[in-house]
This record gives sequence, C-alpha cells and structure tokens, in this order.
Amino acid sequence: MKKLSVWLLAMLAALLIAGCAGQKGPAEQAVASAESALASVRDMAQKYAPEQLGAVEAQMQSLKDSMAQGDYKGVLAAAPALTDAIGKLKDAATAKQAEAEAALAKAKDAWGPMSADVPKMVDAIQSRVDILSKSHHLPHGVTKDSLQAAQSGLSSMKSAWSDASSAASSGDYTTAMSKAQAVKDQATQIMQSLGMSSS
Amino acid sequence: MADEKTPAAAADNPYTQTHTVQSGDTLSKIAQKYYGDASLYTKIFEANRDQLKDPNRIFPGQKLRIP
Repeated sequence: MKKLSVWLLAMLAALLIAGCAGQKGPAEQAVASAESALASVRDMAQKYAPEQLGAVEAQMQSLKDSMAQGDYKGVLAAAPALTDAIGKLKDAATAKQAEAEAALAKAKDAWGPMSADVPKMVDAIQSRVDILSKSHHLPHGVTKDSLQAAQSGLSSMKSAWSDASSAASSGDYTTAMSKAQAVKDQATQIMQSLGMSSS
Repeated sequence: MADEKTPAAAADNPYTQTHTVQSGDTLSKIAQKYYGDASLYTKIFEANRDQLKDPNRIFPGQKLRIP
C-alpha cells in the first residue's frame, strides 16, 4: 500500500513537471510578443500618452517577473490583459497624435493672418505713444499711468512677438499662436487705454 | 515693428485710428482731442498728406488718419 502511494505521488510530480515545462514555451512566446507589441508603440506613446504608457510598462514588468519566477501559468493568464492594454495604448496615442496634428494645422493656417495683423497693432500703438510722449497735456481719458503702462507694454509685446516668430520659424505653430494671441490681447487692451478707437 | 512710424506706414495700417471731419473741426482741434496738445496737429497733417495739401483746409466728411 505504501509502495503504491509513493508510486502515485511520483507519477503526480512527474505530470506536474511535464505540465509546467509544456507551458514555458507558450509563456516565453507571450512575453516576447507583448514586448514586441509594446516596442512598436513606445515612442508614439511616450509623446502622446505617457501616463498610460507608464501603467502598461508596469504590467509588462509584472509579466516578466512572473516569467523569471517560473510562474508560466500566471504569465499565460496575464498576457491577454496586457495585450489588450497595449492595443488600447496604441489607440489612445494614435488619437492624441491625430488631435495634435489637427491643432498644429489649424494653428499654422491662423499664423499667416496673425503674423500680418499683430505687428500693425504694435506699430499703431508705438506711433501713438511716440506722439503722446511729446504732448504737453494728455487727452481726456488718458492718464500718465496708462501712457507709462503702454510704453512698458510695447517692450514686453515686442519681446513676446519675437518669441512667437521664433516658434513659428521652428514649425511650432501651436506655441507661436498662443504667444501671438497673448500679444494681440495685450495690444487690444493698450489701444483701449489710449483711446484708440475710431470716431 | 518700426520704432518711428512714417505717414506711409500709417496709411497702410488698418489699426491706425481715424477721425471723420465734422463741421467746425480744425487740425488743431483734432490734435487737441486725440493728443491733448493742439500744437501736434502737424502729426495728423503729415499722416494725411495724400489728401491734405494745406493744414488749414479740411472738409466735413473727410476721414483723417490719426497716428
């Protein structure tokens, strides 16, 4: 009876070892496949979905740890979820890339009119400030403070416009438009403070 | 962005303020209104040389650039 039990235990152990060994190959393949899929989207994901990429990288590391510990069954159980996560990461990064490209194209289109417009606003303000600086009295509605603010505003607008132009020259029209809009808003506010609306 | 504005630049600039001449206006009165100083009327005259030959002769309805 005792001999039979030992024999049965030995048989069970052999079956278990054989079963584990049979799962090693598919587990290795699953890890390699996940690594390959992640590598193909890593650069794009790094740029457009970095947080989501971090979560997927953690899942990948967990899978590798299971593999290193010989937990092939665990690897095979977790692999489908990781494959799914990589697919979703790719979709999210692709969508955000398309969104960024559309925004860039829109900004590029808007840059042309903006780059013609804003310098003219600044020139008009410069002209008025130059003349008001020679005036013995300021016109009704214009104070010394508003004239001083316009003078310092001109300096900051020229600096910001230079930054916007540099961004546009390097192809970053989104940044260029953001800076240009800020200059335009400031110019509009200064023109109002100097009473530069037509009558 | 030029530091000194020329009359030609003012003419091309849609952001240059304009004033429509009313009956009784003079360039001095207009300069007083926009600059607070009547003696600066020459700035308006120079900016409108394309339509003004004489600073003393302006007409109601004329649209003057106010640099």
